[in-house]
Amino acid sequence: MTKKLPEYGTINVPHERSVPFGAVTPAPVDTQKLFITSNWRIVRPVIDHEKCTRCLTCYICCPDSCWSYNEKEDMMEWRTEYCKGCQLCIKECPSDALTAVPELDFEDGVVRLEKPF
Amino acid sequence: MAEEKMLTGCSAAAQAAKLAEVEVICSYPIRPYTAIMMELVKMVANGELDAEFVYGEGEHAQLSVVLGASACGARAYTGSAGVGVAYAFELYSPMAGGRYPVQMAVADRTLDPPGDFGSEHTDAMMVRDQGWLMGWACTPQEVFDNTLLGYRIGEDPRVMLPQMMCQDGYFISHIADKVKLADPAQVREFLPPYKAPHPLSITCPVSHGPQIRPDQGAPMDAQRAQVFLDVPKVIKEATADFNRIFKRTYDPFLEKYKLEDAEIAFFIQGAHANTCRQTVDALRKQGVKAGMARLRWVRPWPTHEIAAALGHVKAVGAVETSTSYGGAMRGGNLIHELRATLYDLDDRPLVTSFMAGLGGETVWPEDFQFMAKVLLQMAKEKQARRYVYWIGFEGE
Repeated sequence: MTKKLPEYGTINVPHERSVPFGAVTPAPVDTQKLFITSNWRIVRPVIDHEKCTRCLTCYICCPDSCWSYNEKEDMMEWRTEYCKGCQLCIKECPSDALTAVPELDFEDGVVRLEKPF
Repeated sequence: MAEEKMLTGCSAAAQAAKLAEVEVICSYPIRPYTAIMMELVKMVANGELDAEFVYGEGEHAQLSVVLGASACGARAYTGSAGVGVAYAFELYSPMAGGRYPVQMAVADRTLDPPGDFGSEHTDAMMVRDQGWLMGWACTPQEVFDNTLLGYRIGEDPRVMLPQMMCQDGYFISHIADKVKLADPAQVREFLPPYKAPHPLSITCPVSHGPQIRPDQGAPMDAQRAQVFLDVPKVIKEATADFNRIFKRTYDPFLEKYKLEDAEIAFFIQGAHANTCRQTVDALRKQGVKAGMARLRWVRPWPTHEIAAALGHVKAVGAVETSTSYGGAMRGGNLIHELRATLYDLDDRPLVTSFMAGLGGETVWPEDFQFMAKVLLQMAKEKQARRYVYWIGFEGE
């Protein structure tokens, strides 16, 4: 007769350390300070409001939701703190309204920060 | 009444996927699994199956597409073989960690080199530690059945894991055998609709696959390991339900063939078990008490079931169809876990392994006869002389 084999035991992860199922979390409906990524940027998109047709292509293609439409002013607005400088919006803009400008050209260019975000 | 048809393993998988009413399919061609997608795309084109059929630009894309589909709450299906399985590798862990119960059909094929197209389990076996459920079929019928079983087990709320349902390339994927299909009503009774716990949604937005911190890594791993403690129970329940509804006789984890009084036994998975079974019968006629244990699931590994089934046997030979170069026994993968499984028994069997069926070679009855001779000698001498024998290169 065979003897009793070892068991696997149970793994008890205390509640305060447990991770949500599949690491799925409620989506942040607002910006999160922990994930500011603008310090990755070496260029930024600069908009020419004359050329812009408000087609919202930049709004659709931005992976970090950095473009939004200001209805009151009737113009596109760019949020600096999450733009990684990937230039997708520049590439996709059908009216050539966006230009990549090096961060060094700006007073608040992210490369000049004393410490990264 | 459920229909009976002559089907190859690939056709059987496609028929089962159709009955499971898969909603998103992503394909990329690589033989021998491609025939599954050829069947499915026809079904979609003919309006027999209402599914989104996406042509991936590679296997990495295939798995990414089905991951997204599963995250949206769709029952998703994909597949690959050989180097295609390797190209998708980055996705395996996030898919299991993110708990997306997609199914990937694998018709096993060799990796490169030699890239000889032949059947070999190395492609799928290298995924065994990524947190997937992994089952192996040995007939087109079992391919059909495992496809449905995979979804049922993987989508169980206690499990929620992706499944790699494997069949040997060519030996099963391209050789037709009688397959008993199922009625849609039976499938509906067995397989409830997939319900994603936190689907991507506009009204209730969630983030899938966010960055976690290092201190969340260990609990995440522990939780993933914990799931596997619960899976065997679900496999048992699902197999019992399957046997009842479809009138089959599967053992949940192991096919135990003439093991009760066996003195030597083969430990095997996949198609070559069919030849092995025949050889066991032939050996019995010769007066040799031989038996066979065939693995139906490699993940989760059925430790206690294997120990119970093989504990009394004098000598066991793992028939390996995958490679583990430089591994503990310098042969394949199965022997490592087989030996570890039997280690705690007081009177444990002697264990060796046979490298057979590599590169898609047929394992002939004479090969199994040779293995039996080695096992009998081990039993007689009460010791294993070698860890591994390479079938075809073992002169007298």
